[in-house]
Amino acid sequence: MESLPLETAEKIILRWDSTASEEAREKMIFTGEHREDADLYLQAVDEIQRSLSSVAVSEKVNSAIQIAMARLEDEFRNILISHTNNASFDPTTEEESHHHPHHHQDPPSSSSSPMHPHNADDGEEVDKTSLLLRFDSDGAASSAASSYRSISSIREVDLLPSDAVYDLRCIAERMVSSGYLRECIQVYGSVRKSSVDASFRKLGVEKLSIGDVQRLEWEQLENKIRRWIRAAKVCVRTIFASEKKLCEQIFDGVGTAIDDACFMETVKGPAIQLFNFAEAISISRRSPEKLFKILDLHDALTDLMPDIDVVFDSKSSESIRVQAAEILSRLGEAARGILSEFENAVLREPSRVPVPGGTIHPLTRYVMNYISLISDYKVTLNELIVSKPSTGSRYSGDPGIPDMDLGEFEDKTPLDVHLIWIIVILQFNLDGKSKHYKDASLAHLFVMNNVHYIVQKVRGSPELREMIGDDYLKKLTGKFRQAATSYQRATWVRVLYCLRDEGLHVSGGFSSGVSKSALRERFKAFNGMFEEVHRTQAVWLIPDSQLREELRISISEKLIPAYRSFLGRFRSHLESGRHPENYIKYSVEDLEDAVLDFFEGIPVSQHLRRRSE
Amino acid sequence: MPATTESNQGSFLGRISIRRNQVMSMDGSHDQELEDLELFQKHVGDRFSELPADDLLSIAWLRRLLDEFLCCEAEFKAVVLMGRDPSHLAKPPLDRLLPDLLDRVVKSLDVCNAVTLGLDALKNLQRLAEIAVVALHHSPLGDGQVRRAKKALAALLAAMLHEDATAKATERSRSFGRRQGTATAKASPRSFSCTMARNWSASKQIHAMLSNLAAPRGNESSGLAQPVYVMGSVLVFVMWALVAAVPCQERNGLGTHFPLPRQVGWAQPMVSLQEKIAEEWKKKEKKGTVGLLDEIQRMEKLGHSLVEFADSFQFPAEADRLEEVKKQVQELSDICTRMQDGLEPLQLQIREVFHRIVRSRNEFLVVLDQAGKLSTPPL
Repeated sequence: MESLPLETAEKIILRWDSTASEEAREKMIFTGEHREDADLYLQAVDEIQRSLSSVAVSEKVNSAIQIAMARLEDEFRNILISHTNNASFDPTTEEESHHHPHHHQDPPSSSSSPMHPHNADDGEEVDKTSLLLRFDSDGAASSAASSYRSISSIREVDLLPSDAVYDLRCIAERMVSSGYLRECIQVYGSVRKSSVDASFRKLGVEKLSIGDVQRLEWEQLENKIRRWIRAAKVCVRTIFASEKKLCEQIFDGVGTAIDDACFMETVKGPAIQLFNFAEAISISRRSPEKLFKILDLHDALTDLMPDIDVVFDSKSSESIRVQAAEILSRLGEAARGILSEFENAVLREPSRVPVPGGTIHPLTRYVMNYISLISDYKVTLNELIVSKPSTGSRYSGDPGIPDMDLGEFEDKTPLDVHLIWIIVILQFNLDGKSKHYKDASLAHLFVMNNVHYIVQKVRGSPELREMIGDDYLKKLTGKFRQAATSYQRATWVRVLYCLRDEGLHVSGGFSSGVSKSALRERFKAFNGMFEEVHRTQAVWLIPDSQLREELRISISEKLIPAYRSFLGRFRSHLESGRHPENYIKYSVEDLEDAVLDFFEGIPVSQHLRRRSE
Repeated sequence: MPATTESNQGSFLGRISIRRNQVMSMDGSHDQELEDLELFQKHVGDRFSELPADDLLSIAWLRRLLDEFLCCEAEFKAVVLMGRDPSHLAKPPLDRLLPDLLDRVVKSLDVCNAVTLGLDALKNLQRLAEIAVVALHHSPLGDGQVRRAKKALAALLAAMLHEDATAKATERSRSFGRRQGTATAKASPRSFSCTMARNWSASKQIHAMLSNLAAPRGNESSGLAQPVYVMGSVLVFVMWALVAAVPCQERNGLGTHFPLPRQVGWAQPMVSLQEKIAEEWKKKEKKGTVGLLDEIQRMEKLGHSLVEFADSFQFPAEADRLEEVKKQVQELSDICTRMQDGLEPLQLQIREVFHRIVRSRNEFLVVLDQAGKLSTPPL
């Protein structure tokens, strides 16, 4: 194109001086339609700029450049705003699931521009049903973002149509080369930032203060964390990435690092707002129930970090990268702290009221559930937990802490050792609790039940089993077996003692050799004891049916033969006397039946059934 | 007396059990402790008296303030926490005073965030001022440059008004028709600093932090209650000064009364600073203020003066008028340079304060939990 004569250029600039005429105010030069006006104007600006470098610059030219720049600034803003109104990010998808009916939007307006997914064929099923750029007629939030597919990698969209981008670039070039880059950054930043804010609102990114987060119930926070994780992926991988792309499209090569400056103007505030929530979570008071959501948050942020690094790769955006990394590290610390808290809490759990019937203590269930969840998160936790627990009274001088020889677990990961340690302190606590039972037998039963439960839980989960290891599992098994044995000893030794031979025979003479009175005493004692044990221990509970059976069988194996043999040898001595039924109350079958009542947790009636009646 | 224990790396138990390498006789340690507590208070007083009285609330001054704060905080931790038997911290009155302090700490985290946002708002003002500087530096100064400067200055002054406004976030300007000199400001109608959570208020936050802040009485005033009180006062004072200086959300009604003991040594320097700042605040509050930050106050003055010049400008201007303006422009340029050099580091420092008090809070929480063995744990 031929260059314009200077006078002509000046005229054109003055004609479009918006401070000078109504007409200039009402019409825009860059309308996306008639290019001639725009091209001519740019030409005029170029001519003015050219003449600035000549030796004698007239005041008119001086003034003209400012008028031109002011005009271009307005045009720039106008282009941005008129397209921003139409293209703020609205993430909704077509939901495949039947459970969530999707609210359909208005059809896209004619100025819509298609989405260009970054990698169209990355094999994700989400492509067709992934984010669609929706267009509203005005920038107001239309539908709430009900649900949207998770984005797993950077996907920029074109925020503005390419001819708008071209115009913006043309304008930016002139503004920057005239030294008006600050105005350019100012305008760009303020308009685009509003757009990002609007997108955030639609995504449901909340502005919560740290105080707000401290005050909320954890359940509510869990929901918010879930939403945040989904939203953050969209924010980083699409919203921020797209803004960055737009800055590059407009400003790359125009001046120095203008694209960075504009990008930061646009996203710095929203990015900080986004990360502040995660930071607030990482700061919140540590308590065991928070562990898994914090790990979720940690994992999500870890997953996002490479993309954060890519999107915020300039020097001016370093603070955002740094903050994200700080939050990540804090989340890891929080996880470690919570695990410690948990271990402490297990150790110190102070309830003294014995669980009725010696059954599974709620603590046992809670702890085993918890470590089962830990095993689900073992990949992350193995990275975060890097030191083994400090264990044992040898190390802490505190008799309130059990011993554990770490030497046995040389080849286990620190996390594994922590899990074993948790089981150790659980047992330690349970042992303490068992002492609150007045009845020693019940104490043993309690230990047996609970340790058995632990064993079952570990056996039932391949991860847990692998982490705990068969060696320790064997130890645990041995422990509950031993508890069973201790129980039997505590209860049945004295009962079976009644059925012993010694003391019944009297020496000497012609008599039958058996003291009838002693025999009667024995029977009475046995009956009494057995009835008491029966009544008491029917109410005790062994929840695991197999264990229950095994113990009953074990009892029977000792009791029944002993009673049968006793009956066989000595009943005849009493049957010839008075009221033998007062002493020989029960048949073997009666006893066998009675044993079936044991550990059911159901009270039995006062007297045993007597078949022989 | 618990025996000296090994410390196991990474074990929180180990951290608590670290003992100083001293022979811990009952009397000896007690004297040592008293001395440490007194030194702590003396140091607080010293540090605040070293803060320069002029240049109050400038960027450089604020940075020094934060430095001193970090020193106080570190010493506080050393005196109260290190080598301390956790159960001491769970006894009254500390069982109430420490959680109060930690609550103040959490509140100050939000203040740090709000102030950081406010500093971003100042960067925006800085940029507008720089436009004016660039324009007015031009020689010969013509209509074009003056118009440019005026536009930027008008936007600057409007933005300053806006940062002060308690206006809630408004919608983006939809109407494009009002294209005048303040077009730039219209495009950013929402105050930059008003992006904290809805309903968050800096003045309310400070007010809440001040509640229950009272000097320990009677026999409580020996022992650990005193340094806890001192630290609390320091914390609130620093946060208050930041809020007074930097525009942040909802500062209306920022209290100017501080319950600091006037006669006590450690408090006097703080009291005198506090009074000076409060006086300034009261003066400016009526007219509305964008914050007492020295650079911004001067920028505002210069902005008004230069706008006046721009309004009455006619090309060519008289030489002595130009000389005057040149001086003011240079001053404005210096302010911009100071902001350019100082705002980022100030933000980084605030971030460091943030980190430090989070970390300390964690350490305290761990010790308090350790000490609270008798309380039911959250299972």
